[in-house]
Amino acid sequence: MSKGYLGIDIGSISTKGVIIDENNNIKASEYLWTEGDPLKAVKRLLSTLKLQLADSQIRIVTVGTTGSARKLIGAMTGASVVKNEITAHAIGAMSIHPEVRTIIEIGGQDSKIILIENGIVIDYAMNTLCAAGTGSFLSSQAQRLHINIEDFGRIALQSTKATPIAARCTVFAESDLVHKAQIGHKKEDIVAGLCKAVVANYLNNVGKGKKIISPVVFQGGVSKNIGVVKAFEELLGMPVAVDPNSHLTGALGVALLAKKSRVEKDFFFDITDIEFKTVGYDCKKCSNNCEIICIYREDQIIDAWGNKCENGAVH
Amino acid sequence: MIIGIPRALLYHKYKHLWKSFFKELGIDYILSPDTNKEILRKGSAYSIDESCLSSKIYLGHVEWLLDKCDYILIPRFSDYSRNGTVCPKFLAIYDVVANIFRDRSINLLSYSINPKVTHVEMAAFLKLGKILNKKKSQSLYAYLNAKQVEKKAHLLEITEQERLLQENKLKILVLAHRYNIFDKYIGEPILNILREQETVPIIGDIAPQKEAIANYAQISETLPWVCNRELVGSIPIYKDRVDGIILMSAFPCGPDSLVNEILIRRIKDKPILNLMIDGQEGKAGMETRLESFIDIIRFKKDEQNGRN
Repeated sequence: MSKGYLGIDIGSISTKGVIIDENNNIKASEYLWTEGDPLKAVKRLLSTLKLQLADSQIRIVTVGTTGSARKLIGAMTGASVVKNEITAHAIGAMSIHPEVRTIIEIGGQDSKIILIENGIVIDYAMNTLCAAGTGSFLSSQAQRLHINIEDFGRIALQSTKATPIAARCTVFAESDLVHKAQIGHKKEDIVAGLCKAVVANYLNNVGKGKKIISPVVFQGGVSKNIGVVKAFEELLGMPVAVDPNSHLTGALGVALLAKKSRVEKDFFFDITDIEFKTVGYDCKKCSNNCEIICIYREDQIIDAWGNKCENGAVH
Repeated sequence: MIIGIPRALLYHKYKHLWKSFFKELGIDYILSPDTNKEILRKGSAYSIDESCLSSKIYLGHVEWLLDKCDYILIPRFSDYSRNGTVCPKFLAIYDVVANIFRDRSINLLSYSINPKVTHVEMAAFLKLGKILNKKKSQSLYAYLNAKQVEKKAHLLEITEQERLLQENKLKILVLAHRYNIFDKYIGEPILNILREQETVPIIGDIAPQKEAIANYAQISETLPWVCNRELVGSIPIYKDRVDGIILMSAFPCGPDSLVNEILIRRIKDKPILNLMIDGQEGKAGMETRLESFIDIIRFKKDEQNGRN
């Protein structure tokens, strides 16, 4: 039996999982929607991964988690590595493109830029107080225009003249879009304009003041949108690489980190049959009123967090 | 008579001076508690949207003190003459408070720093003593005594920081106004995350004041604000002994937004993280930013060690 390493990336919108073998080859992978319930999403994810592994002789020896629910899922799966998504994405991208200098990452609710020199992250930036121009913005606009988000990029490519759309703020972009539609701009031009707006927004906010050096790799869910990829290439004036596994980079990165950690303890897929639940309550012990989250495995508490002071510690 | 002191803004800079001055004069005072969710919530409710998080917190503390004391201490600072100006909120906050709480029977106690007088601060404290019905000699003695206490406390901080700089861990210089970084609700969680990550936070504002003021021009000669001059001046003092720099500001601080941009552009030999705090719930985003910043520093260091 050979060893396998599981990486799970649980984002706000989608949950990704990757299993690699000792030579870092991807043996199983899955991408599905989080649907606001990370525990359930991970169970579905694990069931699919288990099926994919059915014929192979792979035993999972360690788990790594990343993404915004990394802590919760880390507690659930007994992960040996719980890493932030910036490091995970950088490690994942470098394993596919060792030469990469700039990583553009646009996910469901956040976007980042990661700059790399000699295989080391030297700088990064993340959208701070505003989620303009991320995946969830695009999917809500797609809904408004009655098109599938999967077709978004293809429709954008049909446009010959993209409609300019205010890129500074999601709310302005949205009202601008409605206005442009009302005065008769074609749908594909508006869609192409939206792609451009996302890119302009990204470069003005997250990419502000950063020197973007080729080779550039684009990853995260939005990288599947060919319209946005094309807009990036136009505005940057350089090729932008998108790997077929670009949506899995975070999960791949954290699987590699888990493998590198050399912490091994067998992981069994049967946790999909175990009931996990979270219970939140307001701690009333001081005026901070912290929201404490307790994680239960079959009625037994396995972890808790959220307290700002010792008073709220759960034992 | 009881004097109420809001535990916010200038309190964090002048706490030793204020407390010792009142103690020496035999005047009782109470402090508002550490900032908590309720104080922030109330402070935000009394503030206009545009005011900074630190000022919002301040109003929450003032509100807590209402009905619990006879006077609330709110000094006015306009500028320090050739030493620079201050953010206008320090001049305005007295009037802001007086007007917001005008129908809550509030009594304010104030002293103004007027740069045209020599011994500016002493003159202001003598005036303060007069309002409190104390003899000039009493007030003078209390002030000088309080000044000694303040000096001692600062020296102690500096010595402690020098000790921390000797520690064999990653050291991160945190550039933030005292009222932000020493606030239990918005600043302390950041220091805690840094400590959890096995790093030692070094506080820029603890740097010896005179030395910092003498140094700031190495980075920018044209900074108007005295608070920022002190912070920026701490960079040359600590830079070579730390592994990275975090610029922490409260949203939407005007002076910091300008100064942080200058720093990011001019300091090229240390990793810098710009951290904006807006009182949002949930510390996940903050953790991600701090953790990945420290990862960058660690990876870099490992690589350098590998090469040697």
